[in-house]
Amino acid sequence: MTHKKRKATELHPAAQLYARECHEGKLSRREFLTRATALGVTAPAAYGLLGLAAPAARADTPQMGGSLRMQMDIKAQRDPRTWDWSELANVCRGWLEYLVSYERDGSIQPVLLESWEANEDATVFTLNVRPGVTWNNGDPFTSADVAHNIERWCDASVEGNSMAGRMSSISEDGALREGAIEIVDDLTLRLHLANPDIAIIANMSDYPAAVVHPSFTGDDPVANPIGTGPYRPVSHDTGIGAVIERNPDHTWWNEGNGAWLDRIEFVDLGTDPSAWVAAAEGGEIELTYQTTGDFVDIFAAIGMPESEAITAATLAVRFNQEQEPYTNRNVRRALQMAVDNAVVLELGYDGRGTEAENHHVCPLHPEYAELPPLTVDPAAAREMIEAEGLGDHEFELISIDDNWQAATCDTVAAQIRAAGINIRRTILPGATFWNDWLNYPFSSTEWNMRPLGVQVLNLAYRSGEAWNEAGFANEEFDRLLDQANGIADADERREVMAQLQQIMQDEGVLIQPYWRSLYRNLRPNVHGAEMHPTFEVRYHHYWKS
Amino acid sequence: MEELGWLAIFGRMAVQFLPVWVAMALVFGLSITWRRRLGLYGKLFDSTIGMIGFGIVIFWLFTAVFADLIITHDPLAQVSQMRNVVPGTPLPNPDGRYEYYLLGGDSIARDVFSRMVMGAREVLRIAPFAAMISFMIGIALGLPAGYFGGRLDTGLTFVANLVLAFPVILLFFLLVAPEIQFTLIPTVMAGVLFLVPILFLMVLLNARFFTQPGKRNLYVGGVLVFGLWAYSGLAFNADPLGFWGISPNILNVFVAVVFVNAPTVFRIVRGITLDIKTRDYVAAAQTRGEGPWYIMMWEILPNARGPLIVDFCLRIGYTTILLGTLGFFGLGVSPESPDWGSTINDGRRLLTVYPHPALVPAFSLMSLVLGLNLLADGLREESLKD
Amino acid sequence: MLLFLLRRIGVMLLTALCLTFVVFYLTNLPAKLETLAKTQAGSRISDAEVASWLERNGYARPMVVRYGEWLGVVPGWTRADAEGTVTGRCYRLAAVEGEAYVPERCGLLQGYWGNSTRFRAPVSDVITARLGATGMLMAWVLIVMVPMALVVGVMAGMREGSRTDRSLSTFAIASTATPEYVSGVFLIALLASSTVGLSPLLSSWGWIDGPVLFQGNARSAMEQITFWNFALPVMTIALYGMGYIARITRASMTEVMTQQYIRTARLKGVSFTNIVLRHALRNALIAPFTVIMLQIPWLLNGVVVVEVLFSYPGFGWTLFEAAVNNDIELLLAASVVAVVVVLLTQLISDVGYVWLNPRIRIS
Repeated sequence: MTHKKRKATELHPAAQLYARECHEGKLSRREFLTRATALGVTAPAAYGLLGLAAPAARADTPQMGGSLRMQMDIKAQRDPRTWDWSELANVCRGWLEYLVSYERDGSIQPVLLESWEANEDATVFTLNVRPGVTWNNGDPFTSADVAHNIERWCDASVEGNSMAGRMSSISEDGALREGAIEIVDDLTLRLHLANPDIAIIANMSDYPAAVVHPSFTGDDPVANPIGTGPYRPVSHDTGIGAVIERNPDHTWWNEGNGAWLDRIEFVDLGTDPSAWVAAAEGGEIELTYQTTGDFVDIFAAIGMPESEAITAATLAVRFNQEQEPYTNRNVRRALQMAVDNAVVLELGYDGRGTEAENHHVCPLHPEYAELPPLTVDPAAAREMIEAEGLGDHEFELISIDDNWQAATCDTVAAQIRAAGINIRRTILPGATFWNDWLNYPFSSTEWNMRPLGVQVLNLAYRSGEAWNEAGFANEEFDRLLDQANGIADADERREVMAQLQQIMQDEGVLIQPYWRSLYRNLRPNVHGAEMHPTFEVRYHHYWKS
Repeated sequence: MEELGWLAIFGRMAVQFLPVWVAMALVFGLSITWRRRLGLYGKLFDSTIGMIGFGIVIFWLFTAVFADLIITHDPLAQVSQMRNVVPGTPLPNPDGRYEYYLLGGDSIARDVFSRMVMGAREVLRIAPFAAMISFMIGIALGLPAGYFGGRLDTGLTFVANLVLAFPVILLFFLLVAPEIQFTLIPTVMAGVLFLVPILFLMVLLNARFFTQPGKRNLYVGGVLVFGLWAYSGLAFNADPLGFWGISPNILNVFVAVVFVNAPTVFRIVRGITLDIKTRDYVAAAQTRGEGPWYIMMWEILPNARGPLIVDFCLRIGYTTILLGTLGFFGLGVSPESPDWGSTINDGRRLLTVYPHPALVPAFSLMSLVLGLNLLADGLREESLKD
Repeated sequence: MLLFLLRRIGVMLLTALCLTFVVFYLTNLPAKLETLAKTQAGSRISDAEVASWLERNGYARPMVVRYGEWLGVVPGWTRADAEGTVTGRCYRLAAVEGEAYVPERCGLLQGYWGNSTRFRAPVSDVITARLGATGMLMAWVLIVMVPMALVVGVMAGMREGSRTDRSLSTFAIASTATPEYVSGVFLIALLASSTVGLSPLLSSWGWIDGPVLFQGNARSAMEQITFWNFALPVMTIALYGMGYIARITRASMTEVMTQQYIRTARLKGVSFTNIVLRHALRNALIAPFTVIMLQIPWLLNGVVVVEVLFSYPGFGWTLFEAAVNNDIELLLAASVVAVVVVLLTQLISDVGYVWLNPRIRIS
């Protein structure tokens, strides 16, 4: 393993390459920031490479004090690494912090790390722990704590530990690989990866990667709130609400750059947005967690304008290719052809997003390759279905009972029906839906955004992957995907991506109608609370005027 | 094209409902002409309340029957640019379709009017039949419980009270859950519950005609063949001819509704039986040497019909409301279904901005239940005059 | 009388036993347990992880045995992990209750109601807190509903067939024909929305300070009940329930008014008001009393709808949450409570009927 130590001031060579691409317009600024900061370039330096000044964080001076009420689901807490909902993490963000954070502009910023560097082939990462950080019980925060957390993340024997998958390049047999972490000194450690993985730092910003104290036993982070952040929980009632207050007995490392509010109250009002509206009208909440569909405008009409985040989050209406009749490629292609994605976006998601092209790679992704537009031809679709002898077959489209997802699937079904193909809908409640989500023959799944196009393809469409709900197994695709994973340059990768995207379309893997925009509605006097593309609620940066 | 005014909307709706008007005129005309020969039904037309109730009920009944002729659009079809549009909005490019959404579009651009009309069919397909099966079960068990008394009565009453002690909503959550759908439980329950009406009819006919074996064999045999045919399709989805069939979803709802209604009917029938069995004509029949089943089916039951018919009307209304409650909790009937409960639930969220998708089915549901209640009142008043 | 009460209590226990077994059976079907594992350990976990979670948490044993555990007639499960630490049902329950002593059996008979998987708290705490909240709601519903229903019923029944009777009866029927999920939504739109209904008008006239007249959400009633946050949920339940009671009262009243003694009183020249208040009312209220008692369990349906609609965390809301999340032990406790409420109200109704009506004696 070659490993060359670079000085902290020296920029990763790939970052300079990216900057050039960005200037030439081959790389979006957002993507440039994501990739450059993932390699350890600081955000101001990354902006500097583009010849820009880093944007000032806030126009106004934040005001101290006040309390804020926010609508958000409060679910029963558990071990952070097993969190499966962003809401679980959001409650704890006030005291459980992260090593790094993913920002709205697409950059990755250091939090509990001060900086990090990757070697040239992205196989060795040096992490520099931020000095002066203490836990709220008085213990100093050291590289040993970081190592402890990384080891916890790698433990796949814990049911539901999703961090294990994200740490695969430093783990082995479901645990941390021997020698993968090297503790250099109290504030420095080094990760030795088995294979190049530029996503490893980005993965540490994911919501289950909250950093816990070594004494944490793995049950409830609210009952035992030892963390590094400026807040502490006061109460936490599942399904009802949670109250967080500023911790007076702890000096936060970032004192003066946040923790403005005295108190945050999360109110769980159930899943029905009309109940949120009623609560907002009565002054019981000042901002929502996420608003969808018509409710964005309804909230705006009652004096809560929206904050929008454009993302690569989507709804994948996928076929499972291991189940009849979707083993047949022509059937899948025909159903795709019957659906006009633009209409699904308009009717199913209120037009709040951009049309997608059935290959799960977003124009926001750097390696996105533009393909010829999709053909929509209901008549041909009907002919193809008849040619396969399924003229009388009744297809079934399954979805979860969530409002916008159900509406989108209803619209997809209506389009298929309009083409003269029989289809019926099934809606399963949230608790039941996940029991069998990988095996439904034809169903929809919500996918959140990931910074790189290859990340989702790796996760969801490679043969034999745990979350390969499409049952997609294509040797050519896997081979090209491996190839793409090894190409650091976005342009070169785009050529491979074009082939990958084409395979996705040709094989009729999924109907992917749109890329969603995400919204949150908030009172005008609430600041710093813009919608985050990965649903983060960093209430330690919120303030009220 | 211009948006329609309210007058034009109602005019066009009245035209769409033409088959219903014709059928209603026929029914009313014939009934009023022959009302003196039609027994309790005929007397209904002496009471204004009863007549209004009856009118509303048959309006919806005929709407359900002629739904295919009345609707202006496919209730599941979506038309681009018609999301949440107000009543009377013209289609952007009709190409042969009806030019307007008479009562506007819902949140995914479906025609509210057509869904309301089709919803009547959905509702009237489940509620009256569920009420009927509940009644057959309640009667078949309530008569012997009241008549014989003793252990049988104690046992059946305990079971009935057991079911009644269950909060209805908990029972629905447990029985209508999708996980249960894939187990044998609904099928087994349907197997038991649907068998009772067949047995009931057989006993009913046998008790009457056992002195005339020829007729008896014909009737009982007929019921048996027809009953088992329907039974195989409805309970097990295994009709050899493929005529009878029911989706597991609907079956589940159906079974749950019957299950919660039957014990109440049982209690009513048992109470009435306890009362009637002390009457002279029952004693007379006993002295004549009639069998217990004959007495129950042909002496007690006809004399209990007044309160039972009244309760039947109320129960259909109650069942309709119950189905709506299921829709409110997202249980039961299939998604996209235009049944009123689910459409009210879909529409209510946006009530403050787009009221029509929720108001239309809500008024339909209320008017049907109101009609059934008025009808029941009319029947009660007239039957008391006997 | 004592024997009668004992028998009723015996029946109540037997009913509760049967019902809890049915609930236990239906919540412990394999698919339901899988749902539970996925809500507890992560919605996207694999089948192997589900199996291991069920195994580790004592769900992988025969159902009847676990029902026995819940009742407290079978010793609670225990298991030792690789390091020799023993865990088990009773260990966890004792830990949650903060007791050092770990009993061998820990079920209903020993006073352990178990743990709620949804709320991560002892079931007994959850149920008592929520029952208190629903108690407040029901109390207000009864305070509003019963007098209203009786007044409407008596007024309508005083002079059968009059115009007052017709209009009040129609009102009563209309209220029974409007289910809570319709009336609740209408009331919110009419009175608690700043864009439609009355509130914008009142607000523009300057009659109300805030943007809305009533609160369309009853969450704040948890801390403090005010007229403004509690009126809508109470009205919603009361409206639906009152129609039925009013109609029973009317029927009972019309029957009483045709009785011999009323006619005699009228012939004696007693004023109409006096006849109604002194002579007719007491006898006319016997039937409504029994109906009101029987109505209470029946209102539970409406309570679930209304509590969910107005996000008021009471018993109905808890029942909904427990059912949706397959919270087995909470559902069991909730069904026990429901059975007790149903049978208790029946008992009160029977006893009250006898007390009000001296002609009947319980044998």
